[in-house]
Amino acid sequence: MKPFDPVQLAIPAFIVLVIAEMIFARLTGRARFELKDTAASLVMGLGSTLIGGAFAFVFVGFALLIQPYALFHIGWSWGAVALCFVADDLKYYWWHRASHRIRWLWCDHVNHHSSRHYNLSTALRQPWLGVLALPGLLFNVPLVLMGFPLTMIAFVHGLNLVYQFWIHTEAIGRLPRWFEAVMNTPSHHRVHHATNARYLDANYAGVFIVWDRIFGTFAAEDETDKPRYGIVGNIASYNPLRIALHGWAGLAKDLAGARSPREFALYLFAPPGWSPDGSRDTSEAIKARWAQFRAVRAPAQ
Amino acid sequence: MNAGLLQLGISVLGIAMMTGLCWLLFGHRDAALTDASQAVDEIAREVPGFRATRAALSRDARAALVEAGADVYLAVVRGDGVVTRKLAPGTAVTRDGDRLALSLQDFTLKRAALELDDAPYWEARLKRPAA
Repeated sequence: MKPFDPVQLAIPAFIVLVIAEMIFARLTGRARFELKDTAASLVMGLGSTLIGGAFAFVFVGFALLIQPYALFHIGWSWGAVALCFVADDLKYYWWHRASHRIRWLWCDHVNHHSSRHYNLSTALRQPWLGVLALPGLLFNVPLVLMGFPLTMIAFVHGLNLVYQFWIHTEAIGRLPRWFEAVMNTPSHHRVHHATNARYLDANYAGVFIVWDRIFGTFAAEDETDKPRYGIVGNIASYNPLRIALHGWAGLAKDLAGARSPREFALYLFAPPGWSPDGSRDTSEAIKARWAQFRAVRAPAQ
Repeated sequence: MNAGLLQLGISVLGIAMMTGLCWLLFGHRDAALTDASQAVDEIAREVPGFRATRAALSRDARAALVEAGADVYLAVVRGDGVVTRKLAPGTAVTRDGDRLALSLQDFTLKRAALELDDAPYWEARLKRPAA
């Protein structure tokens, strides 16, 4: 059965909504666009679709390999789809958290965070070389072993990604409290894309923000600390090829210079910013320095 | 017509439309640093507790060097914003009169050029080995 891909179907809607947000931004000033940044994000999105499609066999092949060991055989039903959607979102949370905390995975995911702007075109800035982030495959294992059909897993994951499109905007402020409490929203996801020290490593959710609340990674948007978007050490290029490769190039250089198997392993699996001599900053180091700075400043205020 | 090709065509057309509209609505202009203190502020936003001891703005207002104790930072204009880097000790630098050319070991920022009134100072500062 050929999987039905909601993302492909949603592409015309993505285009219409990006155009609508641009016009809204021009009229109200409540969102920001920059020509080269937008063009780079859009080309990254197209490249991701083409290259991702070309390497889909790796993901499908891996899933087919473990599928015979599934504990159950779940058929198509509304209940199964709903359950699969929630399970996939939980999987997404852990994959996403790992993608920020393990450099091997971050090399891929960093592309999505590399824009200094936050608008609907940023949602389309997707990595090209997901196939190199091999440990990411493991996150699919539980769903396959639970016995969900592969086409169902692909379908609900597509729905998850389509949901995440609209939350990449500054045009929408806070939504009703009940919605903000349960669902991932533009406000929650602005925090996730921010580089302000207080916001680092927060709000990994795809659809349900409850995962962040449960696992202790939730941070609320603070009106007094407007998010600054991008990555720690923003990239200085709008060339899609450079954007797609910069994380991998940095990792390759570090691995080539590793002086022991331990260093090699830590370059791969330690959090981004880890270095043998501590000369670079991890997010913990930045947050610790920020907390220290606040503590020193607080008595004076 | 092949559905895949049709999707590709819609995507390419969509990118062209969105990029064209972005240009029409927002134009294209690179920002400029108003003064050296703006570069200091940009770095301070990224480095908690940052205190600059000296800063210099290039004549074209597109880059600045900022000293903070033993460290030197570079701020360069990219698009409508500013990108900053802490320069590694011994960053390759050459000087031709007031013009400094920096070569960085950075995949997305390989070179930077600045024309500075006090270029000899910054050249010496950048060539100073790590403490």
